[in-house]
Amino acid sequence: MSLTSLSVSELCTLLERKEIKAEESVLSFLEKIREQEKKISAFLLVLEEEALARAREIDRKKEKGRLAGIPVAIKDNILTRGIRTTCASRILGNFIPPYSATVVEKLEKEDAIIIGKTNMDEFAMGSSTENSAFFVTKNPWDLRRVPGGSSGGSAAAVAAAEAPASLGSDTGGSVRQPAAFCGVVGLKPTYSRVSRFGLVAYASSLDQIGPLTRTVEDCALFLQVIAGQDGRDSTLSSQPVPDYLKEMKEDLRSIKVAYLKEDVIKAIDPEVKQMYLNVLGLLEEMGAELHEMDFPSWEYALACYYLLAPSEASSNLARYDGVRYGLRHPSAENLKEMYLSTRTEGFGPEVKRRILLGTFALSSGYYDAYYLKAAKTRSLICREFKEAFKKVDFILTPTTPEPAFLIGAKEDPIAMYLSDVFTVTANLAGIPAISIPVGLTKQGLPIGLQVMADYFQESLLFKLAFLLEKKVKFKKT
Amino acid sequence: MKQKIDIDHICALANLKLSEEEKARLEPQLVKIVEWVNKLEELELDVTQGEVYSPVSLPLPLREDEIQPSISNEDALSNSPETGGKFIKVPKVIEEK
Repeated sequence: MSLTSLSVSELCTLLERKEIKAEESVLSFLEKIREQEKKISAFLLVLEEEALARAREIDRKKEKGRLAGIPVAIKDNILTRGIRTTCASRILGNFIPPYSATVVEKLEKEDAIIIGKTNMDEFAMGSSTENSAFFVTKNPWDLRRVPGGSSGGSAAAVAAAEAPASLGSDTGGSVRQPAAFCGVVGLKPTYSRVSRFGLVAYASSLDQIGPLTRTVEDCALFLQVIAGQDGRDSTLSSQPVPDYLKEMKEDLRSIKVAYLKEDVIKAIDPEVKQMYLNVLGLLEEMGAELHEMDFPSWEYALACYYLLAPSEASSNLARYDGVRYGLRHPSAENLKEMYLSTRTEGFGPEVKRRILLGTFALSSGYYDAYYLKAAKTRSLICREFKEAFKKVDFILTPTTPEPAFLIGAKEDPIAMYLSDVFTVTANLAGIPAISIPVGLTKQGLPIGLQVMADYFQESLLFKLAFLLEKKVKFKKT
Repeated sequence: MKQKIDIDHICALANLKLSEEEKARLEPQLVKIVEWVNKLEELELDVTQGEVYSPVSLPLPLREDEIQPSISNEDALSNSPETGGKFIKVPKVIEEK
């Protein structure tokens, strides 16, 4: 039996029973990384020595945390003290954070071991990880294809068994879409459930950190560890964090599910659509009550997102000016020149595109027509979701309109943006959403199902996802 | 109506300096994206200004403003490209006459 094929909870059991040591756990994943990385390129940095040293330290500890000896891969926009964090951007190419993100502190407190930093689209802007300033990550199911994005490295690392779990960030689908493309479980928690302290800001009203794992149970375990309590993120909710693992296994009395109208899904990939319908059929057999639902503003969500996210980004990314950290253009003669040259040299094309789009949407004369209009549309979308959750407990959609596409297939920015059509709504509304793998295409590519629930109803999400996971029996790599 | 974007003005606002080649590539892309998001114009919105800003109505928790350890001056400057003593050095701001 290979340790790398086990889930986090299975590894935890072995480690608790002292059948294996943390060192063995880390060594087997490091070996897997050495073997897989030549093909996959999921990691920007592998922390071989640090992870082993930490494992040995944990092996000597008497009182151990609940993730003792579990290797975790961390997306490279989440700060790790003393460990290079680049956001896959040249502008932060040598950035060594002087502090760790709250989620990293929480993982380390439970004795999880950071095994490496994963590749991503630069500043989390993208849906394929092709926008990394360093290299492209490959999909472990088909090396000619993208792993999705922006948390493509985190999804590929888990799918290739280079780590049993990872953290990503999700602003418009950046955890769920790569999870779907790579056949793993990915969660975007309710906005404000998980501290964003130490997450490099892209669009602050939409960003949330979430776990990527092989099973729903592992996902619940990770959320349990990273959620709640932090004095350093003023938007964090003070709602108590429930016992997700316990609640997940309780009975689901009634299942009221909303599904999308035919004309919303008519243009998507036929195999993805068929799989979606199959799952709805399964739910009906399980006794679920299905409601066809009309979300009139659904078709505006993507346009709304692609105004709000770039607007927030253009403001957030103003901080990269070569003064306090990161790249500084060496030959500038005055301060203004230094700002201009540093930013122009340091940002890649998609980042520039979004900064310019956001700057335009916020600029004098256009603000009302673009930013404000989008902000109002967002309120409308929120209202529709609130209404929907008075009638149903879940909204089901495909996670993506198609399975993983070929590297280089989407050079047109809008074609790439359409990849997020089913995922952006949860970010706009702030509700939790999970993607679970439900099957494969004829070509052997994973297909994801997205389940959304009302604010702070992660336990419900896990319950249904856990039931479905048992029913569909998705076969992992 | 054909959308217009003054790319030089937007670049100046965003502190970006694009080459002519980059401008020629980015401008039509931006125009296309803006035309695409113009779809929102179709929407009848009955949303008031007050409803706009926070999608999640959260009672934002406050804590006591107590002095706690923070990162040291040394740590805070550790990533700066150029420092002098406790300060960050930048090229001169004021032009000589």
